This record gives sequence, C-alpha cells and structure tokens, in this order.
Amino acid sequence: MVKLHDVSYTYMSGGPFEKTAVKGINLELKRGEFVGLIGHTGSGKSTLVQLIAGLTKPTAGTIEVDGKTLFKKGTDMRKLRFGIGLVMQYPEYQLFEETVFKDIAFGPSNMGLSSEEITRRVHFAADLVGIRREILEKSPFELSGGQKRRVAVAGVLAMEPKLLILDEPAAGLDPAGRDEILHKIRDMHRRLGITVVLVSHSMEDIAGLADRIVVMNKGTVAMTGKPVEVFKSAEELKKMGLSVPQITEVCNRLREAGVPIPDGLYTVESAKAELEKLLKNEMR
Amino acid sequence: MFKDITLGQFFPGNSFIHRLDPRTKILCIIVYIAIIFCIKTFAGYGLLAVFTVACILISKIPFSFVLKGVKPILFFAALTAVFNLFLTDGKVLWSWKFLKITYEGANLAVFMVLRLFFLVLGTSLLTLTTSPIALTDGIERLLSPFKKIGVPAHELAMMMTIALRFVPTLLEETEKIIKAQTARGADFESGNLISRAKAMIPILIPLFISAFRRADDLAVAMECRCYRGGENRTRLYTLKMGVKDFVCWIIIILFTAGIVVTNMFF
Repeated sequence: MVKLHDVSYTYMSGGPFEKTAVKGINLELKRGEFVGLIGHTGSGKSTLVQLIAGLTKPTAGTIEVDGKTLFKKGTDMRKLRFGIGLVMQYPEYQLFEETVFKDIAFGPSNMGLSSEEITRRVHFAADLVGIRREILEKSPFELSGGQKRRVAVAGVLAMEPKLLILDEPAAGLDPAGRDEILHKIRDMHRRLGITVVLVSHSMEDIAGLADRIVVMNKGTVAMTGKPVEVFKSAEELKKMGLSVPQITEVCNRLREAGVPIPDGLYTVESAKAELEKLLKNEMR
Repeated sequence: MFKDITLGQFFPGNSFIHRLDPRTKILCIIVYIAIIFCIKTFAGYGLLAVFTVACILISKIPFSFVLKGVKPILFFAALTAVFNLFLTDGKVLWSWKFLKITYEGANLAVFMVLRLFFLVLGTSLLTLTTSPIALTDGIERLLSPFKKIGVPAHELAMMMTIALRFVPTLLEETEKIIKAQTARGADFESGNLISRAKAMIPILIPLFISAFRRADDLAVAMECRCYRGGENRTRLYTLKMGVKDFVCWIIIILFTAGIVVTNMFF
C-alpha cells in the first residue's frame, strides 16, 4: 500500500542548523497491517510519518501510496491525503470550531461530502472513540484533556482513511486514558480492516498491538520484524535507548536464573499463563 | 516554509564581530543607519559597500545567507524605485503620454534602492552576529540612563527577550497546525480572496489559543521563581567593553570621516 524508496529528509538544508532527520529509508507497508513504529526521541519517527502522509516533500527518494508517487507532477495531493489519516502529536491543540460536531466534520466537509453523509460519519467516528451524543453540541474548549484528544482523533477517523497514522496518541495521558485510547485503536483496526501505523517510544504500548515493529535509530530503520523477533535483541535495543517490555525483561532474567520459561513473551497475560503452567508442574 | 526567514535570526560564530559588546554593535548600527541617509554621492555608496562587504567577510557568515534576508524587501524596494522614478519633478529625460522620467527621479530611485538594501543588510548583520539575549541585554544597558525619567528599561528589555524567544516557537507551532489541518484536507491555495481568508481560521484560532496558553504558563513559571522586575537584580554575565570594542569605534570613526570626505569632495 505504501512504498518508500531511499527516502531522506533534511531540515534547513544549507543553513547553520542543517539537520538530516531521516536518511535512506526503504520500507513497505502492506494493506491491513498494524505496524508499530518505535524509536528514541529524535530518531526521525515524526518526520517519517509526515513524509508518508504527504505533508513534507522528501529531500531525496520517492514515496508511493496506492501506486501513486507523492509530489509527482499530476498527482492530486489533496485527494491522496483524504485517504491518509494522520493524528499528530498532541492533536488536541488543532481544535478550533464552535462545537465538537463541527470540528469532527471539518475533514469530511473538506472532502465535499453531502450533509447527511457528514452527519453519519461524525456519529460513526464519535462512537468509535467513545464520545457521547450530548458532547457533540459542546464547545471543544470546555472538555477535559483526554476528551479533547478523543475529539481530535475522531476528526481524523471521520474521513474514513484507508491508512491511519497515529503519532504518540497516548502521550501525556494518564495510564487509564492511555490504555483506553490504545484499546480503541486496536478495535478500530479489527473492525475497519484499515492499515494502522502507531508511533511510540514505548515498547509497552506497541508490544501487544502491532503485527510488525519497525525500529528507528538516528534517522534510519535499525530493525524490522514481528514483535517476538525484535524483542530477542534486547541488548541492541538498549543501546538505542529503547527497552523491551518490562514483562519480557522479567522473563529474560528468570531464564538467566534457571527458570525454564519459554522465549518470546511480551504481554502480561501470556507470561502469567506460562508462569502458572510452570508453577503447577512444580507442585506435582 | 517559515524556516527560510533570516531576518532576526542568529547565526552562531566566534568572529571578531560576534565577540563585540552588543552595546558597541547597536551604537555602530545606529551610526551606520545615519550614514546611509547622509550619503549624497555614488563614491560614498562605494565606500559603504566596501565597508559592509568587509564586515560580512569578518563575520564569516556566508554571503548567500546574508542576502536571503534581503529577499523579502525586493518587492518593496522595486515599488519605491518605481514611485520615485515617475513621480519626481525635475529635468525631463524621457516622457510618454502622462509618464515621465526625470534626472532627479532616476537619481532618487537608485539612491532609495541602495539605502533600503544597505539598511536591511546592516541590520540583519547585527541580528545574525548577536544572540537575542545579548541584544536585549545591550538595549537594556543603553536605556538604563533613561530610567531616571521613567523609562522602564528592564521591563522593555524583558518584553523584547520574551517576544524574540517565542518567534521560533510560534513559527514552529504554526507550521505544525498547518500540517495538521492539511492532513484533514484543508485547502489554503485555491479559491478567491474571501475563501482563502476563511481558510486561515482553522490555523489562527489554535495559534491564538496556544499563544495565550504559553503566555499563561510562562507567567506562572516566572512567578514561581519569584521574578519581580529590575530593581536590585544582578546578572550572571555582565557586559564589559574591551580592546576590540575600542578598535571597532576607531574603525567606525574613520569610516564616518571617509563618508564626510566623499560628501564634500566628489
């Protein structure tokens, strides 16, 4: 669905503050895939997703979305962007309308849809993120931080994109809000069958959700593979300022201490099941 | 897109000009501006050009970078030139129907463009070689004698520091909001003037809200650190004039003398 070929991007090229954010990226995203994009602060994650969303033009290389090359002559960028939903970091700061309804409707109305269709989509998106109907008539500025975040996500979902990119959607939320938004994202992926890219610097967020993990380090793709495969290289991840999920770390230490616990556990539930099995055997 | 603005941007370095006391640089720029408007001959402008180029060379800032700052005023300079060229009375050189070009007009047009050009070049050299903090420090110290007649020098300097400090932040914020709204299908390019102005609303409202929020946060942060203005406040780094500033003053005096000579004899 998305193909990146040797993509690089340099900020303020030529000036004294020149900085290459991403260099020589080759990456492919398949339809319906849930990809976790992970990397330390400043590893180029945000730049990469903005490039994929067609918001910045790469300094070098090409990006193909649905067979069309971005920023090529004859490519209708605006139309292409309708199919890509990008939820940027701290998206609640982009709310501007008088009511929540109008704000969520901003995207769909830019697409030139009929008012019935817009209403349907606003309700659909609001249900997905769990915004009750009576809130739709409120001003977005009266809401709490977590609710604002959900409204902003709904504003992107209402465009019904085929590719949904979320840049640190859980940043700055409390643990309950974090779990809730991540669960909502998993539900959406399952129910709508869309391609999802979830950006995070925390393995915990991504571990149980993603089919595939792409690890970024210093502007390049350092590793890519299934969560199990990636978490095997705990040492390398640590060198990049990343960590494996806590529970994987616990299992690794147990194994070092001689407990015969299997490899590749990265959710608390699966680790719990394995440990219970071991304990039962011990009792016998 | 906003990252290309050079005017008011600092270019870190360690050249002779970078190390001058900001007060010296500010006063020199004032003298420089006065000189620009006093020059009456092309020989004077020649001398000015040599001086300016020498300063840029000493500052070790690439020419292309300094010239970028001049770009935004090109349109303005062209407009000024056209007005001066056609609307000045005097000895007619060329005329067609109601349009006429006079000798005085042509002269004035060229002078005006040169003045604008050197004005922007000189002032951008000041901001390129002086960090915003040093600049406001210098202004504060220069204004402090006027405290006696009620000029709030420290407060003015603090306001300027804060304003300068937030220019890049707000630019970055604007860019982020533009991107976010573009991702939601906002269209800023097509349509007539009214629909384009309307398209700015989704950018301006979040921008204003964030500016107020930041102002609020900053006020609280300053309050928390017991900030209370200029009285009895000491500084970590105090400005000191040195030999290099003395050298700079001699150069400026010689340069001014040179300009006076060109005005009198050419």
